[in-house]
Amino acid sequence: MAGVTLENIGFRYPGASADTLSELNLDIADGEAHALLGASGAGKTTLLNLLSGLLAPTSGRLLFDGRDVSRVPGSKRNVAQVFQFPVLYESLSVAENLAFPLRSRGAARADVADRVGYVCDELAISGLRDRRPHTLSQFEKQLVAVGKALVRSDVTLVLLDEPLTAVEPKIKWQLRQTLRKVQEDLGVTMIYVTHDQTEALTFADRVSILTAGGILQTDTPAEVYQSPTHEYVGHFVGSPGMNFVPSDALGVAVGERLGFRPEWAVIDADGQLEGVVKQTRTQGTRNGDPFGVVTLTTEHGDLSVRGKAFVKVGTHTALRVRRYVAFAGQRKVGAGELI
Amino acid sequence: MSSYKSHDNRAWLGVLPVVLIVAFSAVIPLMTVVNYSVQDILDFNARFFVGLDWYRETLHDPRFRAAFLRQAGFSLTVLFIEIPLGIAVAKGIPKASRITPLVLILLALPLLIPWNVVGTIWQIFARPDIGLLGVSVNALGISYNYTAEPLHAWLTLVAMDVWHWTPLVALLTFAGLTAIPLPYYQAAELDGANRWQVFRLVELPRLRGVLIIAFLLRLMDSFMIYTEPFVLTGGGPGNATTFLSQHLATMAVGQFDLGPAAAFSVIYFLFILLFCWLFYTSVVHRDDA
Repeated sequence: MAGVTLENIGFRYPGASADTLSELNLDIADGEAHALLGASGAGKTTLLNLLSGLLAPTSGRLLFDGRDVSRVPGSKRNVAQVFQFPVLYESLSVAENLAFPLRSRGAARADVADRVGYVCDELAISGLRDRRPHTLSQFEKQLVAVGKALVRSDVTLVLLDEPLTAVEPKIKWQLRQTLRKVQEDLGVTMIYVTHDQTEALTFADRVSILTAGGILQTDTPAEVYQSPTHEYVGHFVGSPGMNFVPSDALGVAVGERLGFRPEWAVIDADGQLEGVVKQTRTQGTRNGDPFGVVTLTTEHGDLSVRGKAFVKVGTHTALRVRRYVAFAGQRKVGAGELI
Repeated sequence: MSSYKSHDNRAWLGVLPVVLIVAFSAVIPLMTVVNYSVQDILDFNARFFVGLDWYRETLHDPRFRAAFLRQAGFSLTVLFIEIPLGIAVAKGIPKASRITPLVLILLALPLLIPWNVVGTIWQIFARPDIGLLGVSVNALGISYNYTAEPLHAWLTLVAMDVWHWTPLVALLTFAGLTAIPLPYYQAAELDGANRWQVFRLVELPRLRGVLIIAFLLRLMDSFMIYTEPFVLTGGGPGNATTFLSQHLATMAVGQFDLGPAAAFSVIYFLFILLFCWLFYTSVVHRDDA
């Protein structure tokens, strides 16, 4: 296992007029579960292909444990990947599939048996050993694909490319739990690429938000949520995302715009921002009161509040913001509370 | 709603066109042949029912047996060459390059040439006196004359069929190859698979479908081959390249032996059906196992 370092990584597809990735810097610690979160078109797949060795960066360096691997082909990089859909050798049994990455590198028979047994135990798939992939469910297949990625003890880095895409929604969380548990048990460095913020925030130790402009923020899930360093991060992470209003609207002298999470505000007729209730979305009850998201139409656009949701649509009321993050030129310049 | 479930026999009218088309295109001609095959037809007014005599006679006819063996040998030979060669060619076609369409068109050219023209091209191409191939081979010091030597005639026919039909196998295989998602290749690369393993474990399992089709098409077509050998060798020298269809044509059209020729046709037809069925079921059964 090893840490991964990106040093000013840039990439441009041959014949393209602009860089797909430019000036990317990222440090991923040994044994870290890292999520790369980004919308489609942000360059996630390109970055993944750079890490797996399918593409070579046009500028910058990629280091595994301090060793420059920018030009090393994927087969010699000790990287394993789990794809969006389960990629297995369909003519081989599950056990043969798991053994394949070891056998193709000439591992001793006893070692192969050891590692395959170990991975089967870890993922609880021993019962599937003699089955053929086409007799397995999508979920089981993806588990085997994960097993195949983990079977080599010399794997530096495991890449996960939206691995839950093909799995039924009902058991997505189950596979995510398994992945998380295995990651902790084995201490594998994992990079999990996804456009799904829930997956990213619940899986990873740290999250990087990737856009076409580069990595906007790398931090723990809690920090990314509570303290976005860029307006896009606040907007992209969270459901609904951060609300933004001009600084003067709240009488704050910091920055140009203020962002606040829906739960940082309450409905209060004497609040700072007046508006008309556009819709209420009840998500449950708290202390017997309906609880959910209320959206107000104000002069600064639609703003959402999470809390008691007993107001009627069409009511003229206001909201009180208690906490904010201030941005100037989209960058975070401060944060504060309003009492 | 009761009207929803009630039967309306007028619906059969809707099926009628299909029934008529199938009847006139397949069932009636086939039954006519079956009808001929159980009669001795002297002329249009004198015909006798002979039961299965023609079948018995055909199956014991040494000329039929010889033609059948030649036919089976020819089909197996071209299949053994065209399928692997077609796969190899398909693997060599660039996948997403600017020249891909050009390569595909060039490859498909032999398929666009009428069959009798293919025969004519090779007849001239292989002539030892003026043909490019014939003259070149002889210039290399190898005595080559396909009109006199059975082996040479045989080799020329095989070469012609390979030239004519390998592109079909290659195009089908290429279509199959392009349908394989990239992650399968990426995973194999990261697993450290070598090129042979990529072919055997990633590509071959996913080419099964198209290869079955290619195999069946080439089996049926090569078993029914007529025009090209007719033009190239006329079945000679001697009977060295007389295949089933040519033997049949001689009987039916040349000698007007309608009864035996009809029995021959039915046997011929059943053989092709049997081969295809055996091949197909064996492949499908292996799938279930």
